[in-house]
Amino acid sequence: MKNIILGAAIAVTTLAACNSGSDKTTDAKQSDMHSDTSMAMHQQTTDTTTSKTAAAAGVFPAREIIAGYLQLKNALAKDNGQDAAAAGNAMVATLAKIDMKTIPEQQMKSYMEVADDLKEHAEHIGANAGKIEHQREHFIMMSKDMTDLVKTFGNGGQTLYKDFCPMANDGKGAIWLSEVEEIKNPYLGSKMPDCGTVKETIK
Amino acid sequence: MSGAKKIVWTLLIVFIAMQFVQPVHNKSEQVLATDFTKIYPVPDSIQLILKRACYDCHSNNSNYPWYSNIQPVAWMMARHISNGKDKLNFSDFGSYTNRRQISKLKGIANQIKDDEMPIASYKLMHPKARLLEAEKEMIMNWMNATADSLSSSN
Repeated sequence: MKNIILGAAIAVTTLAACNSGSDKTTDAKQSDMHSDTSMAMHQQTTDTTTSKTAAAAGVFPAREIIAGYLQLKNALAKDNGQDAAAAGNAMVATLAKIDMKTIPEQQMKSYMEVADDLKEHAEHIGANAGKIEHQREHFIMMSKDMTDLVKTFGNGGQTLYKDFCPMANDGKGAIWLSEVEEIKNPYLGSKMPDCGTVKETIK
Repeated sequence: MSGAKKIVWTLLIVFIAMQFVQPVHNKSEQVLATDFTKIYPVPDSIQLILKRACYDCHSNNSNYPWYSNIQPVAWMMARHISNGKDKLNFSDFGSYTNRRQISKLKGIANQIKDDEMPIASYKLMHPKARLLEAEKEMIMNWMNATADSLSSSN
């Protein structure tokens, strides 16, 4: 009998201990509605592969963002959720480092329209290494964001191909950007690697 | 033996002390201009399902069961709600950019399709949050249709 009471009591305190720490963060979060950014900052520490040079030089890191996206795209095309997640986290880090001062005024509006959404998709892809289909759902919307970002900030000096696969997105079709002309489908992966056509070449 | 007794008493006191630290409840009767139902023509049938199965964690107005006043349950709930609202807040939906609204609408449909939401632990305690296949279908269709109409009007 004693053992049962003791066991129950220990369970209760363990639970309490687990939660007392997070309770503080909850309060902090509630006071800060824009905790998205702070989350991104935390994730920043997990990745150091992206260079600081672009941000430090006061240039908008379009090339870095595109590189991160392409890495992510190639991981999905290879059905590799782990690599896709790593690339997603790297993108979050790159986006978190963006210095708003480097964005020209006439591009600010379109940047603001895309920024939050893009970051959120990168975060979700980063956090769902084991769920590649979920990553792909976010990748559909991320690709739309990236297309608009490239329209605003250019292709970072790299020819890009806008591809379309009518079978992706449950038969509703979806686009993606690629650095190679050959089709490597990130939505269907090895199931149908060559489904899709080049719709546009962005030089 | 007396050592074990001491531990039990200490733990009991800790448990009682915990009850005095209560997180602020997520309660607001006020319907903001940014509310989901204010910015879209949401049919009643959809609204009812959302309120029943989603609003506890994804709005400014949670419905608290009796046991939510017992620690550490209240802390866990506060954390769930805070996380939930971070990801999606129906009370504040209108404050998202147009693009983000589209993403959220599609995200809702996807989460329901993949059976990720409502989360299992919540459904365990709230049988009302378990959605029928027909209800899932209805929500997904409406969310996707709304998202598509927003994309095309852009």
